[in-house]
Formats: sequence, structure tokens, C-alpha cells
Amino acid sequence: MSRPTPPYSAWSLVRARFSGEGYWRPLWSGRKLHDSYDVVIVGAGGHGLATAFHLARDHGIKRIAVLEKKLVGYGNVGRNTTIVRSNYLLPENHYFYEDSLRRWETLSRDLNYNVMYSPRGVVDIALSDDDMAGAARRGNAMRLAGIDAELLDLPALNRFCPQLDTERDRRFPIVGALLQRRGGTVRHDAVAWGYARAASALGVDIIENCEVTGVGAGGGIASGVETDRGYVRAERIVFATAGHTAMIGTMLGVAMPMETHLLQAMVSEPIKPLLHTVLVYMYPGHGETYICQSDRGGLVMGGLLDGFPSYTREGRWDRLEEVVEGAVDLLPQIAGVKLLRHWAGTNDMTMDGSPIMDRLRYDNVFVNAGWCYGGFKAIPASGAAFATLVATGTAPDLIRAYRLSRFATGHMLDERGGGPFPVRL
Amino acid sequence: MGEFVFHKTLPPPGARAFGKIYERVDRPDLSIEHWQHLHGCRGWLLVRRNPSTGSVLETRLLGDHGVSSGGAAPGPGSKAIP
Repeated sequence: MSRPTPPYSAWSLVRARFSGEGYWRPLWSGRKLHDSYDVVIVGAGGHGLATAFHLARDHGIKRIAVLEKKLVGYGNVGRNTTIVRSNYLLPENHYFYEDSLRRWETLSRDLNYNVMYSPRGVVDIALSDDDMAGAARRGNAMRLAGIDAELLDLPALNRFCPQLDTERDRRFPIVGALLQRRGGTVRHDAVAWGYARAASALGVDIIENCEVTGVGAGGGIASGVETDRGYVRAERIVFATAGHTAMIGTMLGVAMPMETHLLQAMVSEPIKPLLHTVLVYMYPGHGETYICQSDRGGLVMGGLLDGFPSYTREGRWDRLEEVVEGAVDLLPQIAGVKLLRHWAGTNDMTMDGSPIMDRLRYDNVFVNAGWCYGGFKAIPASGAAFATLVATGTAPDLIRAYRLSRFATGHMLDERGGGPFPVRL
Repeated sequence: MGEFVFHKTLPPPGARAFGKIYERVDRPDLSIEHWQHLHGCRGWLLVRRNPSTGSVLETRLLGDHGVSSGGAAPGPGSKAIP
């Protein structure tokens, strides 16, 4: 095992200055895959790594492996638009996401790694009186739960975000917004790297380029996983594979209430600081644009799902065009800015839009999935709560509503009120 | 592509009532779906696609279709999936 990198501090910078090039070590590499573990986690994305970190730190489990088919952070944790918020309507969701938002506030200290949490505010733009009523309803639900929310009328919105073009003659004029000031952005790659580094320092084996191809079972429990490097025995198996979760269900013979859809994101060339907040713009005709500016200056944008199942990670041009159109509508001054990159992620869309954190087929197999397009912001709370479920066998109150059986019992968590479809365009 | 609207992937054969509504068969090599030609004849289609490549393997019209049907969703008379 390689020596872990020393803790980051002002003192370590001084030591590094006089210790030569060998002082800084790779953050998590150099581990060897063993043939037996207490817990094997499949998927080295945000949820898998956070679960590993909390299992090791909070529950004292030492023999943990995280197996990743490709590279740490290759999946959705590195493909999202970096937005964090807790502005949900349903209690089961807003308490959970608020727990996550509070953890984001201290995560850099907890991991000893700067994840660049930026509470720059998330602005949900309203285009009609009906939208404002909906925003007020959601904001009131949040405030009753002790979560910050502010309803902005048009003058207040103009004061908060003067870059926004609210004056133009539109068919659906902007009339106000719901603001959550503590919402904002976090650097997504840093979250993957920070959790991987912290978990590795606690003894977790993070094994990249290792594909899980099957689950071994006998006597009613799972005994381990088949990988392209051989069989690995495990007392408990965790799947945190996001858009590939339905395939895990197929592997285990369980039909999941889930479809895999693509969600695109894009970033512009860097420009001077223009936008200090996150704008979310849902317009009639079911289009959506959300936009923020990264610390490097690029305008990061996203929109709705492509609208049908896919694993291609290629995206559709008409969705890209729609997102950019919405962004330019809000901020006409960016019309000449060039797009730099464009990508897509595979989203595990459940039939009620809320996640699943539960056992899957066997008592010792757990699934953490169904995050739809809200997985990134959930990572800190998900990791902590899911680790408790895996370690103790009992789901903490925070995630009790996210059981798989809710689809059979009718206890849906349909935040959107859209019915049993992951997308309706 | 813009003329068509995806409706849903199909539930597993023999699914119970809630399964027909909520469960999906999600395979990386084959997806069996209902689509509607919403901005055309409004007919419903059974589509077999490979979601890993995006290629359409087979399409078939479902039941009565066309403007006269008003674009109603496929009913019990629709042909079963092979």
C-alpha cells in the first residue's frame, strides 16, 4: 500500500516546500484488490465513495472495497451542473436535502479537501401568478421546516440579479422568483476526489478499471461479486451505479421502477464574472434552462432530459439548442459567447422522481439509486444515511421513505405530481 | 425525430397491477417502447431499440391509428409484444 498524502494545511505547504517532489502523494491509487471484504461497493461516484467514507469513519468498518468499471468520477458526479439546494416541497425530500445542504457547508473541513462550496443562491424564476403561487407554496413548506426561502417580486428579483433581462416583451413575462440563498454550487470533480482521498486515507481500497459482471449467491444471501479480475467475496454488497442501476436489477432478476435517460449539460468559453447566482428557468412548452458561472468563468448550463431511454451519453442537438435559447433569453448579453464543451450523463429515473435506498433481492445487498437529476446535491446526506443502513441493517428516519416497496404499497414521493413517468414532454 | 414522442418502456411480461404501472424492463441492448407520432398521423408505435447505440431495430404500428382515433393510447386490442 502506498503512503497516503499528508493532510492539507498551511504547515504541509511549508513542509512540502522543503521536502522535494516526493512529498505529495497520489490521492488514492496504489491499492490492490483482495479476494474478500466486509463491504464491496460497486461504483466510485459520489454516492459510492461517500458511503465508503462514512462506513469507515462512522462505523469503523475497515475492509471495504470500492470497485469502479472506469475511473473515479467518470460518471454523473463529474457530469452534472454542480448545483446544490434543498428547495423541495415534500417533507420526505426537503428534510433529506436540507441535511445534505448542511453537510455541504462543512464538507471541505470534514474531508480536508476544498470542494469549493459557494452559497450563491438558487433562483427559481416564476412566469405567471400561478407560478408565484406555486413558488409561495413550496417556499412556505420549506420555511415551516426551518429551511431558508424567500419569495421575490419583480423589483426584488431585479435587485438580487440585475444582469437578468426582465424588461423585454415576452409572451410569458418574468414576474418574480423563489430564492434559496444557501443554495449554490460545489465543484463536482473535487467532491469525487475529496471523498476518494478521505476514504483511501481510512484504508478503503478504491479499485479502478474493475467491472462487476455478476453476483454470487447461495443459501438466500449474496456471497460476493464476479469481476473481470476474479471473484471477490463480500459480507455486504452495495450498488451505487446511478444510470446503470436498472441493469443491476436485471442482473439480480428484479424489475426496477426505473428508466435510464440522458441529461445534457454544457459549458461556454470562460468570460469575465457576469452571473453571481444560479438561475432556473422553466418556461411554458416544458422547456427548462438552468445556468450558473463556474469559478473559471464558463457558463454552465443544463435543461430537461432527452426524453427516452438511452445509454449513449451522446445527447440531442434540439435539447442543446433549447437550453441555449433559454439562457440567451434570460441573459441576452451572452448571445455571442461560444460553447466550449457539451456532454451527457445517464440518469436513473424512478417513476416518482425520488430515490431508492434499500435492500435489493438479498438481505445483504443494498442499492442506492434513482436519484433522477438530483443526485449530486444529495451526496453528503446519502453517504452518511446509507452507510448507517448498510452497517446496522436499519434505515435511519431520514431515508426511511426511500424504500423500494413504496411502489407496491402506493406511498409515492411524487414531488412533480407527474404520475408514473420519469419524463413527460 | 422531432415528430415523435416517447411514451414509456414496457413492463415485464406477466407483471402484477402495480408492476404494469411502475416497473420497467431496462436492458442495455434492447428497449421495447411505445412512441406516438404526435406531430404527424398521431399513430402509436411499438419500437424496439438498442439504447446503447441509439439504433432502431424494429417499428410496428399498434392497433387502429390515425387522425380518426384521436391519438388514443394503445388499448387491449393492441398486438402483444413478440
